[in-house]
This record gives sequence, structure tokens and C-alpha cells, in this order.
Amino acid sequence: MTAEVIEAAGRKVGIVEAGDGDPLIYLHGFADLHGVKAEPFPFHEALAENRRLIAPAHPGCGETEEYEDLATVEDAVFHTLEVLDALAIDRFDLVGHCVGGWIAAELAVRHPRRVASLTLIGATGLFVAGAPIGDVFMMAQPARGTEYADLRQMLFEAADSELAQELFPDGRGEVDDEVRRYQMLRFSSFIGFKPPYFYNRSLINRLHRVSCPALVIWGEHDRMVPIDHGHAYAEGLEGCEGLKIVTGAGHAAHLEKPEQVAGIVGDFLTD
Amino acid sequence: MIPAQLFCWHFMAYPHLPADFDERYESGWVTVPNALWDAEKSRGLYQEYIDQMALADRLGFDGLVLNEHHQNIYGLAPSPNLIAAALTQVTSHGKIVVLGNLLPLHMNPMRVAEEYAMLDMMSDGRIIAGFAPGGGPETFNYDVPSASSRELFWESLDLIVRAWTEDGPFTHEGKHFPLRYVNPWPKPLQKPHPPVWVPGSRSPGTLIECAKRGYCYFLSSRSHGSATGRAKDQFTQVLEDHGRKYHPFRMGILLSCYVGEDDRSAREECEEGVWYFLKNCLKGHLRTEGRQLTFGPGVPYIPTKAWRQYLETSKPGRKLLGDAENWEELEQSNSIIVGGPDTVFERLKTLIDNSEVGNLLIQFHLGNMSDDITCKSMERFATQVAPRLREYSTKIFAERFPEMEDELAAAGAAQ
Repeated sequence: MTAEVIEAAGRKVGIVEAGDGDPLIYLHGFADLHGVKAEPFPFHEALAENRRLIAPAHPGCGETEEYEDLATVEDAVFHTLEVLDALAIDRFDLVGHCVGGWIAAELAVRHPRRVASLTLIGATGLFVAGAPIGDVFMMAQPARGTEYADLRQMLFEAADSELAQELFPDGRGEVDDEVRRYQMLRFSSFIGFKPPYFYNRSLINRLHRVSCPALVIWGEHDRMVPIDHGHAYAEGLEGCEGLKIVTGAGHAAHLEKPEQVAGIVGDFLTD
Repeated sequence: MIPAQLFCWHFMAYPHLPADFDERYESGWVTVPNALWDAEKSRGLYQEYIDQMALADRLGFDGLVLNEHHQNIYGLAPSPNLIAAALTQVTSHGKIVVLGNLLPLHMNPMRVAEEYAMLDMMSDGRIIAGFAPGGGPETFNYDVPSASSRELFWESLDLIVRAWTEDGPFTHEGKHFPLRYVNPWPKPLQKPHPPVWVPGSRSPGTLIECAKRGYCYFLSSRSHGSATGRAKDQFTQVLEDHGRKYHPFRMGILLSCYVGEDDRSAREECEEGVWYFLKNCLKGHLRTEGRQLTFGPGVPYIPTKAWRQYLETSKPGRKLLGDAENWEELEQSNSIIVGGPDTVFERLKTLIDNSEVGNLLIQFHLGNMSDDITCKSMERFATQVAPRLREYSTKIFAERFPEMEDELAAAGAAQ
């Protein structure tokens, strides 16, 4: 695994790389690499077993510079395109979780021929009537000054699970982790706080443009992005063979059930 | 010489909450169920509050202060300009301070430029134009993305002041509010424009932007320990960096007072209103119990570097004003000053002495305080505390800021 800072379109971008093989671009969410930790989780390591995993941090996250004109998901898509150009990567497998999944989908509908395969895990991005995406910002305000149980409940299967408590502890965690969480909230505030809330109403009607094989994975109890969104993605992406539901997992299914989720993705990528 | 300017601030709290509100509800802000709003009981409430402010004007307060909040029980003035308009008709001498209109909540900042200009004409030049970016709760109420709120705010404010001072029509090539025809009718009476006040909580960005433009900085903290004096020192330094000198009327502070006949009766009379204010009105804002929405990672308006600094210099879960568990703790926060006239005078004298701030914005009505005792407290303040404070502050400001008079005169001449 290497962590480096490259320059893309004149801006510093933090990138984590691991493994060898065809390039796989990984776009992160909240409970994720860059979203809370600087190092890959077991899930990412598993992806890197057969691929060259490249995980850039979104603008303002991790080691990536924040930039002034960041306002919409479109800007995040172009940020990612600049990174791909800087790395001279033309065609790639694309995997995204949460907000990263949204960016991945938006990128794939615009540049379908560059995307070899698309994998979405608990992705935001769609508007589904009656199933609003959770307000992660309000949940990120601690109850009674120090308690993050509601945020953990939104991002994980259970607020009191060991993993959830390790990544989003009550009180105060390591300052660097706290800063990474803050950066991710700040980035997301630019692109997803005001309506539309983490979605683009036009995206659903553009999904058919994605021509590559697609995989959609959802935690059974995702309380940030309701599972209806998973069904909507699975239906809208023509190359998808149906939603894969991970039982006993929440929004961060890839961290909670790394072997299982990495197994599903691995099988999909080798098919 | 100029004495400390004494303002009466009315927050217009909702006074009819059930007695078990604190046990049953997480917050007095944003999500506080509006099924609790009792329109019948609230008949005449706005009139009562407006009458209290009209009384303050007759009692000789230097001005009346209003502010804007939404979807909360702390302040029932989502549109403070409406109350300000009413005040223009029932007051005659005091300034009318709207502190302030929350700029990022407006689709078009010109609406605020126009309404303040109307108010300035309607009040015969008594408007002090306050502007604020909106706190955490407003972020949630009006979907203001915290991370861009400061940028939205300063673009709006600069546009408004330009619209007041530069003849239109002109084109504003702004990032957030591009406008082809900026040409407000009316324009304000005061020249070059009504005084501009901007609240802040010691974040360097706001201090710098205020210093650059020469605006009055209103420290929005409710507690007044050593940090109040530090804010003044910080602002003094920032002003110097921008070629200006500090004097007491470049800053304002917020505090609450209750003046009784003596210390014992003062506490007895106001205690119910004080606890209602602390436990209910501050829940969701300045109280850790429940979920406060004013500051934290979910409202990420400060730059990442400043957040890191905050993490490195603070402890999690520190107590806020509304966490005071007993009267002694409350007294220590130096926020709500309760006592007979002598006690209140002595404590405010010390505050002026330590902070060297000239604009004192004082809340008299707290929570569910009755009209009767609110008015009596204001009357005692005006007759038994204010004259002594004016005398004392005139003296110490003259001693410590001998050049202030010239500066203010120069600023007046420029106008």
C-alpha cells in the first residue's frame, strides 16, 4: 500500500494505491478510507488482490486540497476526471460507496466507454419518493455534547458494534481521525447539504447510458440511504443482474462484512 | 464625551411551553414540534413584546434590538423587519437595531437592502443594519450549506452596502448573486449608509472582514469571562493590522439583566423566567443536553485548519451556559446579571472596565417572564443603574481612549 500526494489540474490530491493489475478506482464515503482513516480497510485490501486499487480523496478530504469553486456533484466528477488524467488512466473498474457511489454513477453516465464495470455500495445520488436519504449532518451533532450513537446508527448495522464505536467513538477520537470526519462532512456540505439532498433528480433517467456490467450492493439495514435506492439503481442500470443485499449489515456494509462484500465484488470482477 | 450605549434587546421567546417540556423534548430548535404552538394563548403576545420595547424607548434606552431566528421557541421573530417596522411607529428617539437579517437565507440580498432602506426612511434615520450568516439551526431550517455560508454572507453584505452607496442601475457580477439591474428604491436616509453591525464568536475570519470594512463587531457570546476582554484585544490587534484604531463603539456585547428592589427579591422574582430560558430556550442552542445544533462537525462552517485548532485546544463536552445546574454556576458565567440596582451597577461597571466595550445589548425579558416584572426591571435599570453606568463609562472611556472623540467626529464629518 502506498499513500501519495499527486497534482491534478494544479491541485494537490491525496491518493492511496495498492495491488497490481488492471486499474480499479475507488471513491469513498463517510465510514470509509479517507472518510475516517488514512489506511485501507480489509475490504479495500481484498479488492487490491487482483487489481491496482487507486483511491483518491475527494476535494478537501484527507490530503486533497479544498478548492473554492466546489459547489455541486458535477465538480466532484470533474475532480475525479482530472485525477484519472493525471494518472493517465483511460479505462477502469469503478467502485463507490455512499457519496462516492453517487460520484461514480454520475461519472459513468457521462463517460460510459471509459468504465469497464460499475459497483455501487449504499450509494446516494437518486431521488426516491418516500425514502429520503438520512440527514447525516444533524446526526453528526453529538447528543448531550459527546454522544455519537445516532450517527453510528445511521452508518452501521448497530450503534454499539465494536467497529462503529472504534470509527466514530463518543467524546473525542484521535485528532487526525476527527479532522478527516470533519473534512468529509465539509466536502459533503458543499455538494449535498442543500436541496437536492445528496441526489440528482435527473440521474435515474440517465442510468441507462451506463453500458458496462454493474453491481449494486446494499446493507440490509442501511439507515442513511434506504434500500429502495438500491432497488432503483439495480433496475436503472441495464448491466445489473439484481440488487445484492448484505444481511446483518448497515450503510457501511463493506466495512461490516468485508469478506462477504469483497467476495461479491471479486466474483463480479472476474466474471 | 460619549457614555456606554445601553440597548434593550428583546428575543420574543415563546412563553407557553408545558411544564415538562425539558423532559419530553430533545430541542427547542428546528425539530421542536409546532403542535405546541398555542395561538389562542398567544393572542396579544407580539403586542406585549412591542409595548415593552416602546417602554424601553420612553425610558431613554439608546436603542432597541431585534434578531432573526426560525423554527424555534427562543425567538419568535423569523422576520425581525416586521417588528422593526412596527417599532418605527411607536418609538421616537432610540436606534432600531436588527441584529441581524440572516443573509444566506435570502434568495436575493437586494430584498434586505430594500427593507432596511424602507426602515431607515420610516424611522427617520434610526436604523442600525445588522447582518449575520445564520447559526447552526438556520443551516438546518433553511438549507444553508455551512461550508459556503460565509462566502454567501460577505458577497451579499458587500452588494447591499454598494447598492446603498453607489448610484444605480449597476450590474453585480457576483459568484452567488449575479444581478443585471441593481437599483434600489428607496435608498437609506443615513449617509453614507446606516451603521453596519456583524456578529461573531471570535473567529479570525469575521474579525478581519469587519476590521477591513470598519464595521462594528458584535461578540455574540452570552457568557462574559476573560474571553470577552480577549476578544477586544484580538479585535484591537486586527484593527491595527488594517490601519484602524480600536475604541469602545467598534464593539458590542450581549448580556441579560434583571433588576429588583434588592438582591433577594430580584432573584425570587426572575428565577422562573431565567430557568425557563436556560432549560427550554437554550436547549438545542447553548445546552449540551439534547442535541445542540449551533456548533460542531455537522455544521462545518469553519475551515478545516480552524477545526483542527479547536480540537487541539478544547475538551469534548464542555459545559455551555444552559448547562448551569444551580444559581451559583449561573452567576459564574457572568451572563445573566441579577440583583438590586447596586449589585447590577457594580457588575456592569466591572464588565465595562474589563472589556472596554461601549455597546451593551441587554436582554430584559427572559423565557416566560411576565410583562409586569419585565417592565419593572427595565424601569429600575433605566432610573437607578443607567445614569451611574453612563457617568462611569464616560469617565473611563475618556481616560483610556482620548483620541476616540476625534475619530468619531471625523467619521461623522465623513458622513
